[in-house]
Amino acid sequence: MTRAREGAGPTRHNERRLRLVDGAGPVAADDRDASAREVDWSILMARSQDGNGAAYERLLTEVTPFLRARCSRRGIGQPDIEDTVQDILLTLHAIRATYDPTRPFGPWLVAIANRRIVDRLRRQSRRNAINAALIPLTSGTVDGTEIAEGAIDRAKLVAELAQLPDAQRQAIQLLKLEEQTLRQASSTTGRSISSLKVLTHRAITRLRRVLIGEENH
Amino acid sequence: MTTTPELIATLASHPTPIRRYRPPVQRAVVWLSVSALLIGVIAIEHPLRPDLPTLLHQTPYLLTLCSALATGVLAAIAAFLLSVPDRSRLWGFLPLPPMGLWLSSVGYQCLTHWVAIGPKGITLGQTADCFATLTLVGLPLGLAASLMLHHAARLDVAKVSLLASLAVSGMTAVAMSLFHPIDASVLILTFNVGSTAVLLGLGLFLGTRFRRDR
Repeated sequence: MTRAREGAGPTRHNERRLRLVDGAGPVAADDRDASAREVDWSILMARSQDGNGAAYERLLTEVTPFLRARCSRRGIGQPDIEDTVQDILLTLHAIRATYDPTRPFGPWLVAIANRRIVDRLRRQSRRNAINAALIPLTSGTVDGTEIAEGAIDRAKLVAELAQLPDAQRQAIQLLKLEEQTLRQASSTTGRSISSLKVLTHRAITRLRRVLIGEENH
Repeated sequence: MTTTPELIATLASHPTPIRRYRPPVQRAVVWLSVSALLIGVIAIEHPLRPDLPTLLHQTPYLLTLCSALATGVLAAIAAFLLSVPDRSRLWGFLPLPPMGLWLSSVGYQCLTHWVAIGPKGITLGQTADCFATLTLVGLPLGLAASLMLHHAARLDVAKVSLLASLAVSGMTAVAMSLFHPIDASVLILTFNVGSTAVLLGLGLFLGTRFRRDR
């Protein structure tokens, strides 16, 4: 805290206002450290707003590990953490004019981080759902090695395929597992192309509901 | 792919002083002053309704006018507060009590006066005139709110947009009740809040489709 205050040289007015975030009364050493760090960041942000590039670079570098930890704690997958941190930094940069140096920096940063984390979690869950539904059905074979970690296992998929009505199972077998064209499958089964499309769609919808629905519970 | 240290170096490489935003309530006051100024300018060009002195002594009229004004003022304050990341999201509920009062006292006359049948045949009714005033007041206020709140697009675009459109509706309703003999509240709310909701819904739909197609 002192290092930043000496370096920053805030005005008497700013110094008085910034001390408000220190809190009063006896506090634990960790709390004091966190509070001091927040004041540091408040000062660095105020200096960044005034056009000090070095202060800005130092601030962004110092908040990055905190943001990584927060992303990890909130359930962002390891491969997405760096992207999320960069999203947060870009948002912070875009709306840095909204920061008021007389207010604590922590809640401002955390609110931005939470917003981007929620966005990322939504994208992540959507992507997982699509991957889980499509990988086994489009991979050509029902080989467990091709299925992503955490997705549906082979035995379960085979069991659910066996539960499908005969016509739907035949459509999936010919079109998805044996990769026949609609025309070939039509001549094999004697069904029309549109009928095969409907059967495949119903089978996939049912499998998705059963497999993903179960996974979500 | 850019690494995080590279991104930080890029962001910090062009240090330019930026102008800090004033506190949200102050910014809301600026927007409300623009609204008052606009209504004042229109009052110079457009005569006030002739029965206004009488109406100012009638409770139902005063109730509608005051609740619309309170809705506009509080919705503007809430929109500016929510456009800043570290303010409580509960501020979004601020305009709800006066809005409830306003909605309980509005009439729907403007929705029924689109055409008038008279000696000259079918002509445009008072609703058409209402619509012109509504656009004249609502458009500049909406534009001013968009400019002052554009940074919220990265934070909470739906809530801030709806609150801003509610603020525009409230202030437009105040203007209309001073100039027009029939109550246009339903038309105003439909026009402002409805169009914002449609745009937000469209954005959400297209965004979902776009992400699904990627």
